[in-house]
Amino acid sequence: MTGQAASRRVLVLRCADWLDSDRAGDDNAAARAFEPVVAIVGEFCPQVEVLRPGICAIGTRGPARYFGGEAELARKLTEAVGRGGFACQAGVADGLFAAGLAARAGPTGVLVPPGETPEFLAGLPVGVLGMPELCELLPRLGIETLGQLAALPSAEAASRFGPPGKLASRLARGLDPRPLIARRPAADLSVQLEFDPPAGQSEPVIFAAKALADQMHDRLAAAGLACVRVQVQVRCADGQELSRLWRHDGLLSALAVAERVCWQLDGWRGAAGITLLRLVPDQLVRATGRQLALWGDSVPSDRVARAAIRVQAMLGHDRVTRPVLAGGRRPAEQVLLVPFGDAGVPQRPADRPWPDQIPAPAPATVFGVPLAASVTDDSGNEVTVTGRAQPSAPPAWLAVAGRPARAVTAWAGPWPVTQRWWDPRHARRQARFQLVTQDGAAWLAALQDGRWLIEARYD
Amino acid sequence: METGVAQVISLSPVRHRDDVLTGAGLLPVLPALRELLPGGLQRGSVVTSGGWGLLSLSLAAGAVADGAWCAIVGVPAVGVRAAAQAGLEPDRLLLVAEPGPGWAQAVASLLDGFDIVLLRPPEQPPAQLRRKLEAAARRYGSVLLVAGDWPGAQSRLLVADTKWTGIGLGHGRLRARKAQVIASGRGAGERPRSAWLWLPGPDGAVTAAAAPAGVAGAGPQGDYSGAAEPLASSG
Repeated sequence: MTGQAASRRVLVLRCADWLDSDRAGDDNAAARAFEPVVAIVGEFCPQVEVLRPGICAIGTRGPARYFGGEAELARKLTEAVGRGGFACQAGVADGLFAAGLAARAGPTGVLVPPGETPEFLAGLPVGVLGMPELCELLPRLGIETLGQLAALPSAEAASRFGPPGKLASRLARGLDPRPLIARRPAADLSVQLEFDPPAGQSEPVIFAAKALADQMHDRLAAAGLACVRVQVQVRCADGQELSRLWRHDGLLSALAVAERVCWQLDGWRGAAGITLLRLVPDQLVRATGRQLALWGDSVPSDRVARAAIRVQAMLGHDRVTRPVLAGGRRPAEQVLLVPFGDAGVPQRPADRPWPDQIPAPAPATVFGVPLAASVTDDSGNEVTVTGRAQPSAPPAWLAVAGRPARAVTAWAGPWPVTQRWWDPRHARRQARFQLVTQDGAAWLAALQDGRWLIEARYD
Repeated sequence: METGVAQVISLSPVRHRDDVLTGAGLLPVLPALRELLPGGLQRGSVVTSGGWGLLSLSLAAGAVADGAWCAIVGVPAVGVRAAAQAGLEPDRLLLVAEPGPGWAQAVASLLDGFDIVLLRPPEQPPAQLRRKLEAAARRYGSVLLVAGDWPGAQSRLLVADTKWTGIGLGHGRLRARKAQVIASGRGAGERPRSAWLWLPGPDGAVTAAAAPAGVAGAGPQGDYSGAAEPLASSG
């Protein structure tokens, strides 16, 4: 099978500072800030692929030969970017996915020798797949690491978890996410638009980009194809051309393409008016129907999308999200947050009966990280729960996150919850309580490993 | 959606933004809130709901059920399931949990595009910033719902009195909360309105409730305090 062939060697450059920073406040500062980095990387290899502002990738085959090996290439590249005033990490591995993780490993990133990518991946938790639905499901089945996932026969993974499972299984083995179709993009699949007079502002160009991307998708769909990488070419009135490759593993929707054009133009402000915009679908895969709308009929209008994208440009792609209800025991597990514009996971049935799920009404405030608390009885002793699920004494006082204690006026519980009882190392036992305090607030509290936690507030 | 979408009054089609620039139009609210906000949410206005809570979510629910889009800014702990049960469909919800120091700019951008922006300001915003955001809401015809204090808001709602039912001392569970909500306008001559709500009711929906015994007659919905099934059983 051609899909099993070793992945190409890839170097991923990651500007961690940039990704975590709060360059908020100044519109699109983040997107602009990355353009000089791409320009520096472009001097090493003209084919720079921008995964999103903050992360870019190059194929190492040619440049490594020229610069004296992959290690030397990575060193020279990080130094050059460092001289430009940007701290960065570089990782090299087989395939883009592993290289991205290699860049995150260690303080400066690591170089995974050819062929050792599966070993490198094996120890990593499945969470690194970035597939929220699957990453939540797999640990429940005792699959915690990519090594364990890779050990499953791939046909098994595909039949059990559908296309996402197949994709995850390929990634865990260090293979490319999908076998690429070995065919140069035919010229007739690219789309372009000329601006006469030249467009001075980026907004009209971004809108044109969305329309163009729609057009490109229609052509691809007619051919049964989808693209995971698109080349955006922009030409200016003064003849200057700027071309960038953009990749998106969730497949590039029309909206995602428009978003990337927006980033590209933001990073390039000050140029003369734009005369031409061309989109070339660069890496094609067979359309598998993964692009089905996650949110049913609620497709955002251009106006909504534009506002959301603008805020993404300010704060970062991941910090503007749409919630999807999911199954789960703890309230915080019941919601997946998918970055706006990402093609998310297929709709997951939230209506499956989850044992231990809290019955309606649901709490209006759900703490992602539970708050530390203290629950004491009338004589000031911490309330505990016996092995027979009886509280040691009625809860009388609740102090949340170190604040003054409030009197408990009503309470119910404990309800024992056991998670992952089949796995002794990760089993978690909880005793849940509901507490109402004097100020009228109601709380979902849990006693776990002898510590009181507040998981949610009913307010 | 897991709960039936609450029936809403629809006074103006939400998607038509042509009438927006003139500041005309109202966004519908849940039937239970009509008494408090006759006509609905005035486009271009600022409405406060005291602190963050189910009241904030339910203020947006009616309009979202009618097709409006809502962005929630500055609330990292939104109970999305509670929102869904109250009729606020997560489908048309955008979350900006941590807007950072440039939060006001993010809110201004969202007001141009989203019908409702529900904001919990990370800090007490200075007057100049407030005026800027008020102007943005007016210009784009959106509604700024503030979970907090906002001098100059057109309407203020707050939960005055609440009582949970279904839970006792060591028995039952939280089943519903009866709450008195008071709405006041900016006009000095305007009399504050008050209503009793199930905030939430036993299925998480926000509906009208009868005033508690002693204030008026017993409610038609009873008190939801009947025998309770256990919260959860061991899994």
